[in-house]
Amino acid sequence: MEKPKIGVDTKRLEAWDKVTGTAKYNADFITPDTLHAVMLASPYAHAKIKKIDIKKALKSEGVLAVITGEDAPYLTGSMIHDRPPIARDRVRYFGEPVAVVVANTEEQGMKGVSLIDVKYEELPAVNKIKDAIKENPILIHKDLSRYTYAATDIYPKANTNIMDHVKIRKGNMKLGWSESDVVVESTFFLPQSDHIAMETRNSAAQIMHDGTVIINTSTQGPFAVKEELSDIFKIPEGKIIVKTPLVGGAFGGKATIQLEYIAYLASLAVGGKKVLVRNTREEDIMSSPGKLGVEGYVKIGATYDGMIKALECIYYVDCGAYADTAPRMAKSIASDCSGPYNIENIYCDSYSVYTNHGYTTSFRGFGHTASTFCIERILDKLAKKLSMDPSELRIKNAIKENDTSPTQDKITLSNTGDLNACINKLKKLINWEEGTLIENEDGMIKAKGMACLWKTSNSPTDATSGAIITTNSDGSLNLNFGATEIGPGMKTTMAMLLAEKLKMGVEKIHVFMDVNTQVSPMHWKTVASMTTFMVGNAVLKAADDLIKQLKQVGAIALKCQPEDLDVGNEMIYMKTDPSKFVFFKDVVHGYKYENGNAVWGEIIAKGNFIMRQLTPLDKETGKGKSGMSWTVGAQAVEIEYDPRMHTYRLIKAATVMDVGKTINPKTSKGLVMGGMNMGFGLATREEFIHDDDCILQTTSLRTYKVMRFGEQPEYIVDFVETPQMGAPFGARGLAEHGILGIPAAFANAMSLATKEEFDTLPIFPETIYKKKKEVEQ
Amino acid sequence: MIPFEFEYYKPDTVEEAVNLYDSLSNKNKKVIYYGGGTEFISMARRYNMYADAVIDIKAIPECNEFDFDGDDLYIGSAVSLSQIADINKFPLLSLVVKRIADHTIQDKITLGGNIIGTIIYKESILPLLIANSDVVLENKTGKRRVSLNKVFNKKLLLDEGEMLVQVIVKKEYVNFPYQHVKRTKNEKIDYPLLSVSALKDNDTINVAFSGLCEYPFRAKKIEKILNEDSLAKKDKIDEIIKNIPGEILHDVGGTKEYRKFMLGAIISEILDSFQEEE
Repeated sequence: MEKPKIGVDTKRLEAWDKVTGTAKYNADFITPDTLHAVMLASPYAHAKIKKIDIKKALKSEGVLAVITGEDAPYLTGSMIHDRPPIARDRVRYFGEPVAVVVANTEEQGMKGVSLIDVKYEELPAVNKIKDAIKENPILIHKDLSRYTYAATDIYPKANTNIMDHVKIRKGNMKLGWSESDVVVESTFFLPQSDHIAMETRNSAAQIMHDGTVIINTSTQGPFAVKEELSDIFKIPEGKIIVKTPLVGGAFGGKATIQLEYIAYLASLAVGGKKVLVRNTREEDIMSSPGKLGVEGYVKIGATYDGMIKALECIYYVDCGAYADTAPRMAKSIASDCSGPYNIENIYCDSYSVYTNHGYTTSFRGFGHTASTFCIERILDKLAKKLSMDPSELRIKNAIKENDTSPTQDKITLSNTGDLNACINKLKKLINWEEGTLIENEDGMIKAKGMACLWKTSNSPTDATSGAIITTNSDGSLNLNFGATEIGPGMKTTMAMLLAEKLKMGVEKIHVFMDVNTQVSPMHWKTVASMTTFMVGNAVLKAADDLIKQLKQVGAIALKCQPEDLDVGNEMIYMKTDPSKFVFFKDVVHGYKYENGNAVWGEIIAKGNFIMRQLTPLDKETGKGKSGMSWTVGAQAVEIEYDPRMHTYRLIKAATVMDVGKTINPKTSKGLVMGGMNMGFGLATREEFIHDDDCILQTTSLRTYKVMRFGEQPEYIVDFVETPQMGAPFGARGLAEHGILGIPAAFANAMSLATKEEFDTLPIFPETIYKKKKEVEQ
Repeated sequence: MIPFEFEYYKPDTVEEAVNLYDSLSNKNKKVIYYGGGTEFISMARRYNMYADAVIDIKAIPECNEFDFDGDDLYIGSAVSLSQIADINKFPLLSLVVKRIADHTIQDKITLGGNIIGTIIYKESILPLLIANSDVVLENKTGKRRVSLNKVFNKKLLLDEGEMLVQVIVKKEYVNFPYQHVKRTKNEKIDYPLLSVSALKDNDTINVAFSGLCEYPFRAKKIEKILNEDSLAKKDKIDEIIKNIPGEILHDVGGTKEYRKFMLGAIISEILDSFQEEE
């Protein structure tokens, strides 16, 4: 019998190509006929475009076309159609594309860009959330109420900067507060920041003579690119082919559609020739969308013995100049606003707000990094007020079977998992019992902080995936599905699932590593930690279809009934007597009788999946169902604080997550560690800094800081396995979650070590110094 | 990608290099001497730096020298930071350069480039300033060996077409007790919030700073305060902070107030460390 495939460390299919530099990414495919598009970026955060003079640029050597917003009267956006692909009439953020030069070479394109003369009339900019929401604010979108919407459940407020408002009204607040002996409240702030994927965003477009549009792009959503291009430019969907090879990191930043529009418009301007547009690092930071900023106000009430009775929170999400998917993250913040705790009375308002900052799109955690920070910080404050161990408070309130979520969705062990098992395991791993605060003789202070996490997905209610299996004459299988390989080894995971189901070697499963929308079955988007769940289910269904067909043709070959047969080791055999069998290779392209007659033909199997029972949230109460399940976990951070210099060192960080079932253990651990590392980035350094004129100051990696290899603490990752019914082998989503609790656990540890409260990220040594200084004064 | 064309020369001698500079400049070309290229490449790609011609000095033997000759240590301007650290002829300098950028970049950055480049911190000059080094400068009209402290004021004061050929450090300085403390905004590898090098010349501490003002400096006044026996440590720190010879930096890396705090903490650390060594 073949050994199990699931739960066994399996090398990624693309591993050797990646480590030897052979792997190719989208912008590596430059053909001799490729033209280059280069963008001119707005130097202002908010201004009227009075005049654009492109005459000189057009005369510049190698320049074939210059396009401006005037040439592209379109409005785009996955929720609100509020964003012109190239700024039109006005610019709304620093770095917004204002014109695009198409040239033979990138050098010539840059030269052309430098020759464009734009006259602006500067407007006052909305630089802070509080200025965006004040009475009679500067309006960033005067036409907000006249825009069309791609989503139905979005509620913009005319003549304001508020593009959406999500409400959670659960239980009875009056009762909740009356039952609360202790109340704690705080305000929190997390700045905008960037994804910093290693591969900057890039897209190429070509329009063939028959009208076929070929888009080669680095994306998490090739099918969304196809649909939205079709919708915006009125191109029949079947005439658009989107191709995506390996993607060099995404973190949500490639779930948006931006450069695809520009590449298409650029190609259109030069008669359909192939045009590539690729961001420099600076453009990727300032022109393409980043991570949202959040201001949160949270008030929580509990009894003296630590039972949480009421939660009120107000979130303002700084979405920047355009909506993109940001309102969905504001919804996601609201719908999981309680954290993984049972709270019966909840009142939450989550507002999506326009500012003149760069616009934002999905980012690892989809808003949950913000809500987790706020709820987990307030829980530590509550524990302090109750003189209770923070881990005990969490254990006491941990969400369990028969509780309900903030959107009044029913919690089961299957759909949520076992948080307390995670906390208990975590406490052992981080040696919680030794004490959370230890002062060393040399004056250094060691402190530990904890945070729990939970997250569900937030897909359209009808998000779907497919998988197709074809066969080779040696009996091996080809697997094709629509999730792009953005780094977490999903192509490998799917091969493992199929191998497990067929009881055959993973090396005999050949996965189509790219996505080509013309030949790959659809997958909604490679986001939301949903690939294993959605595509995995489609693959398992395709495997069932394959097995059924194999048995049918096997029954002919073995002269028996299909139900008498089983498959394994690339054979179809009699259950009662495995010595009677036929090899896959002898049937997958048809079965040939001894006399030469043949039946059946190539076996092609298919499977699909669609989300079940999801509903949008009710406008007034927030009642509804965003995702089919949650993943819960607990994280801890240990730091060493130097009270003399106000500096700190990251010593250790641990995560225990209930993942249902680990499919590829080392890859899963690596994914969680990667998330933890990004969490430390947000906790200790990553932020967009704007000057008083709303101009982004951190536009390059000289000033925008990310965690470097070697700066990370010791990482410990472990799992709890409470299977999720209906998920492939019980496996839950885990790809994003490592990031979620780290900023809060870190801030909890820092607050404990310094005896100050840190409610704003990131926390630099200077932040601590200033806090100490304030207290002194 | 560098979006403009430029001429590239790699002469074998200093004479050739300075003559090239002269002849190219006379053709109204913007010329730069070129070491590791980390600044030029990273800045030119965004038009933040421009040159019509670059003269790569890495093939010139004098610029690659790194050894003692009698009582003098010669360090060529094209010696890379990695070479300085690995060969380790001047331990304080080794320590300082190991904290500039990351290892990959240290393989590229040259001593000359770090001192003359546009990035303001130039940390490798700190040990050289306090070791009373000489520099060898040369242009078409001739060669001069001068005290670094005389020709460095906020930047290296070069005559037209002059290139930095070598730095010369006296052997005795190489062996003096030393301290180096670098603090950044938060990271191991970053521009300095404050970088301080100190060297104890018998009973006198020489000290130089980077990250405090828009340029690195060594100031007589500060050294006088630091070496004033009658002052307590705390008073020394207060006096030094009052006597910083320029505007204190205040930017995304750190506020003025914080840099002052860090200055006090670092001076205290350095004084304590020298004391412990005694």
